[in-house]
Amino acid sequence: MAEPLLEVFDLVVDYPTDTADVRAVDHVSFTVGQGEFLGIVGESGCGKTTLLFGVAQLLSPPGQVVAGQVVFRGQDMVRLTEDELRHMRWRDYSVVMQSAMNALNPMKSIGAQFKDTLQAHGSPSDDEIRQRSAEVLNLVGIDPVHLKSYPHQLSGGMRQRAMIAMALLFTPQLVIMDEPTSALDVVAQRSLMNKIKELQLSLGFAVIFVTHDMSVVSRYSDRVIVMYAGQVAEVARTETIFDQPLHPYTRGLMSAFPSIRGPRRELAGIPGTPPDLARPPTGCRFHPRCPEVMPVCLTKPPDLYAVGGTQVRCLLYAEDKEKEAV
Amino acid sequence: MAQTIEPVESTAAAEEPLLRTVGLTRHFRLGGMFSKRMLHAVDDLDITIGEREIVALVGESGSGKSTVARLLAMVHKPTKGEIYYRGRSLRSLRSRKNRLWYRGEAPIVFQDPFSAFNPVFRVSHGIKRNLVLHRPELGRSERRREAERVCEAVGLSPKMLTKFPYEMSGGERQRIGFAQALAARPKLILADEPVSMLDVSIRAGVLNMMAHLRDQEGVSLLYITHDIASARYVADRIFVLYAGHLVEAGPSETVLSEPKHPYTQLLLSAVADPREKLESVSADTGEPPRVIDPGEGCRFRWRCPYAIEKCSEVTPRPTSIGAQQVACHVAVAEAQRLSDPAGTASVAHS
Repeated sequence: MAEPLLEVFDLVVDYPTDTADVRAVDHVSFTVGQGEFLGIVGESGCGKTTLLFGVAQLLSPPGQVVAGQVVFRGQDMVRLTEDELRHMRWRDYSVVMQSAMNALNPMKSIGAQFKDTLQAHGSPSDDEIRQRSAEVLNLVGIDPVHLKSYPHQLSGGMRQRAMIAMALLFTPQLVIMDEPTSALDVVAQRSLMNKIKELQLSLGFAVIFVTHDMSVVSRYSDRVIVMYAGQVAEVARTETIFDQPLHPYTRGLMSAFPSIRGPRRELAGIPGTPPDLARPPTGCRFHPRCPEVMPVCLTKPPDLYAVGGTQVRCLLYAEDKEKEAV
Repeated sequence: MAQTIEPVESTAAAEEPLLRTVGLTRHFRLGGMFSKRMLHAVDDLDITIGEREIVALVGESGSGKSTVARLLAMVHKPTKGEIYYRGRSLRSLRSRKNRLWYRGEAPIVFQDPFSAFNPVFRVSHGIKRNLVLHRPELGRSERRREAERVCEAVGLSPKMLTKFPYEMSGGERQRIGFAQALAARPKLILADEPVSMLDVSIRAGVLNMMAHLRDQEGVSLLYITHDIASARYVADRIFVLYAGHLVEAGPSETVLSEPKHPYTQLLLSAVADPREKLESVSADTGEPPRVIDPGEGCRFRWRCPYAIEKCSEVTPRPTSIGAQQVACHVAVAEAQRLSDPAGTASVAHS
């Protein structure tokens, strides 16, 4: 990873409301290297989808980026005009939405939707369109006869794969995926994840993969970002985070899902509920649910501390003098 | 499948499970009134639920598991077959009083806690309404006390009763769903995917609460889920459903440690285990089964790696192998070969 493909610096996204601004993404920074698979894990309401929309410049009002930069191939996407962005979408980066049922147009055949996308970035001939559309459908393992099919004629797994095929029409360098597997059954989910990984390795694009299910991302991602209440709680390589989770929240998540093998052990889960981002807790945002809470956590918001190769937002890993400073 | 109907008071009632289905079948007509296309949601299903037991019904979407919940909740009527609740056929419950009685004995908890509550009422409304309907002998103050008791039984503070649904998180709402069910003093709670809409960190708490209800309140639960790992965690017995057919049943640990049916094996291999390494790409794409006029034969045969000719001719019936029941020609033949190497016994199928 010499040159990062995407760099996000201190991104802040607010949703202004009548009473208070809801800060859904609070000073988030990360990088994505060429061909890297980055997983972003968090519960509902932690700001993961907002972060992704902030990166892809898809926020709709009232949501807006109030600070920070999103540098993609040397350009700050936050400053680009809608017109400039339109030229980049699909061609340089594409987004696969959570629910393919809603993302595909029910009134148009798959082929017609592919054609729309292809024609938005040039004027290919009908033959070229047919050929490229068939090619990408083959890539994701769908018979090209389905170019004539309408979305309702495909199963959930096939629709989701058709969405991915569409995202690959121009072989972009970055594909952003927002929980593409959450509406699918386990078997279909597994098969789709394997397909994504296989394509990523063979075509060499980078993936930002957002999910609430840690077990989905574990086997496929190179690095994982764990988000909590709009902030990055922990960043590390996937193996590290699974072998040695540092943040108490990450540890809680790791012990929250039952295993299919090994002895049956009591699941603890995490007590309490995720915070309301309109009124985030003082100090560390996780302190009301944290099993290892210290008095200082109630007042001092933790920074990201480096521990080995991991970055973790928890005062347990702060320098001693910092803990006493309050 | 001839079954005599035991009267409620007979001696057999002592051994009668809490709930038993015999050849339970539900078809839905597709298209217009005179259409002949039938969707076979559930076919010939025999399940039992005992006292103080959590039974998991596992299957992917389209396997008919929610239809089973609705049949047991008397939302749908079975096309064929019978459901016996404590030895009494649900078909015999005709009067409003009897149906009310059954709905109090076996209430249902829905999947989506965000749309299952009336947003303009406080959460105490649903609980108190159940108390008025099913336990009319209680007075006003007893109702309040009882509402507080069920609230505590599901792990919530009684203060929650005065809240509106929008003030609560998903996990809290789902607990209120269980509290509502509990208010009627049920023997069996039908829980249709109760945790699938909840966050991962909240799920464990609701699953633990279900085990607590079994142990402390003495209710049985039918836990309908697509997540076989959570079924293993909480259930005593597991029924695996595929395309409306029962494919495998037995004690959770046995079914999951020695799955006999190829579908159960596929389901288990698809569960992502974070500690496992990435392996070769599986060819199965998880296409849904064909359940519209499926005809005779095993419904898994198109995806099955072991399918033989017989699988497309004869529908396999659940057959006992040890503690398990397996509906697979290949697995049954294999088990028989192992227990009877000479091959003297013939393969028995009903």
